[in-house]
Amino acid sequence: MDDTGVRMHVGGKDLTIIVSRERVDQAREVGHTILRTPFLKRTWSELLFLVIGWPLASVGFTFVALTMVGGAALAITFIGVVVMATCIRGARGFGGLHRGLARGLLEEDIEEPEPFAPRPGFLGWLQSALRDRTGWRAIAYVVLKVPLAAFGFYAAFSLWWDAFACLTHTVWNSSETPPVFGLVRNVFAPGYLSVGTSGFFHGIAVMITGVVFFFAAPWAVRGVVYLDRRLMHALLAPDSMTMRVRSLEHARAQTVDASAATLRRIERDLHDGTQAQLVAVAMRLGIAKEKLAEGSRVDLDQVRALVDEAHQGAKEALVELRDLARGIHPPALDTGLEGALSTLAARSTVPTEITLALIDRPTPAIETIAYFCVAELLANVAQHAQASRAAVSCAQYAQWLRLVVRDDGKGGAQPARQGSSSSGLAGLTDRVHAVDGRLTIASPEGGPTVVTVDLPLHA
Amino acid sequence: MTAPNGPPVAPAPPPSDSLRIAIAEDSAILRDGLVQLLVDRNFVVTDAVGDADALRRSVKRFCPDVAVVDIRMPPTFTDEGLRAAIDLRQEHPGLGILMFSQYIETRYAAELLADGAAGVGYLLKDRVADVSDFVEALVRVASGGTALDPEVVTQILGASRRTDSISVLSSRERDVLALMAEGRSNAAIATSLVVSEGAVEKHVASIFTKFDLPVSQSDHRRVLAVLRFLGS
Repeated sequence: MDDTGVRMHVGGKDLTIIVSRERVDQAREVGHTILRTPFLKRTWSELLFLVIGWPLASVGFTFVALTMVGGAALAITFIGVVVMATCIRGARGFGGLHRGLARGLLEEDIEEPEPFAPRPGFLGWLQSALRDRTGWRAIAYVVLKVPLAAFGFYAAFSLWWDAFACLTHTVWNSSETPPVFGLVRNVFAPGYLSVGTSGFFHGIAVMITGVVFFFAAPWAVRGVVYLDRRLMHALLAPDSMTMRVRSLEHARAQTVDASAATLRRIERDLHDGTQAQLVAVAMRLGIAKEKLAEGSRVDLDQVRALVDEAHQGAKEALVELRDLARGIHPPALDTGLEGALSTLAARSTVPTEITLALIDRPTPAIETIAYFCVAELLANVAQHAQASRAAVSCAQYAQWLRLVVRDDGKGGAQPARQGSSSSGLAGLTDRVHAVDGRLTIASPEGGPTVVTVDLPLHA
Repeated sequence: MTAPNGPPVAPAPPPSDSLRIAIAEDSAILRDGLVQLLVDRNFVVTDAVGDADALRRSVKRFCPDVAVVDIRMPPTFTDEGLRAAIDLRQEHPGLGILMFSQYIETRYAAELLADGAAGVGYLLKDRVADVSDFVEALVRVASGGTALDPEVVTQILGASRRTDSISVLSSRERDVLALMAEGRSNAAIATSLVVSEGAVEKHVASIFTKFDLPVSQSDHRRVLAVLRFLGS
């Protein structure tokens, strides 16, 4: 039995309360935490945060209030607008100070918003400042911080002070009520346990009160700081709109990079393949031409060999060009996904079954992405999966296109990571993300591998 | 025909005075074709390599008269051929360099010619189709002449029309200068423009005067005129 019996004497009877070991451990844990907390660095950092926060909040509020009210009063003149813009810019600065304080003292990493990027010129600066969402939200923080800081100061700092006052009370003056203030004073006097207002019992009561305050104070501070942390995350971090813009910008950058990379690859393929091939063909024909011009001493066998090589080279160049063109835009796509995917499945070395259930035709960009996804995934199946069969399904769910490529191979396909060797899969993920789609891979060791691609019907 | 970095190709006993040529070209098809073409014409191909470092080693070892260098080669496929060529020109002053590329970048031409235009050529790979012209250009470069692709000349001419720093020349003189830049002799220029050789000489003299080039060996002046033209 893991249970621990706690033996108690209640009214002359033996009473055994069975408490599970888990509960005992939990209680011990809580006790430890309570005893330890006043001596943790975190506790004192948080207190320091509150202490610094109060004057900072006051200064910030004063600044915002003065400039806002002043700006509003002068709003009919140009100067009022400038003052308001200054207020918004300044609030951003205060936001930064609070963020820095949180990072330094609370180890709370609040994401930096976009830096202020004004348009050129003074009027541009003014317009950008007035429209600066980050600045306005910082104003909201600076204003809300005031009651929070006041409450924090009152509720939390007073507890610390009272603990100090009560614990040191006997040293100063044991006959007086300790100079408590704040919450404590309003709720009870520290001597409430004692019979009189002085004497031994009074001293003990004050001492006990001090000990209780000492262990309770860190939690009050922590509570207030917790509220502040939430407020900072809500108002001083980039908001969801900004995050969305950021992710779109990221996706756009990836798309631009990807298309630049594609162009570079095509150029490289042309340069190293077809172009070199054609130069060699021209050269061989040039040599042959000159040989033929030699007149009577023509070595026909040599000329024939040259023309043969040139002929072979020209045919190879044609094949390379065709493959390259198909890589840029598969002609089969012109008639829709159905034909293109069927062609892909037919060309695949692994027997592949295609199921297609589309009601609407997706936009060409989506069709192209879907096509290249299937092409790349089937190529992966053929190269890595050691599968005996594969299946591709393409279905429409409202405004979404869902592609599923599954195989019965050995599994273990890795999702695309930054800089991983599976650049094909990484490239696909980028392409899919660029249109707000999603690519998920389920590939346990031993298989089967199922890759699901969700694309919006209209990009 | 020859393996890259392999031993020098030794065709049937070449004439002792035949040109010794190194080839640096990363496309195997072209490299083999070039070797075939040059050996067929009784040149000695000292080495045929696929990248710039191999070319540096090869030139050091075999001391060829001229190197045919592709600009874009492994590992970065940008301009390592050009870098190697510029270094080689400084290390081996007598070495002729024929840059060989699928594109014309005027900037490359300018960099290559920064140390003078003697023994320098820059041709499009396409030119190899006209075998005789190509071989002629190669021989010219090996003997300290210049061979610029007409495409290079056209581009520079197009650019310099705008900057009008060679606007002092008449249009006929510009034509002559362009052909000079390609590396043609007066006789060849005369044939090309369908005028007499004397007329070409007159134009050339006029160009020298207008460019204020000092009287010295006429070949040197030709090179200077071309450089002036490229610098414009």
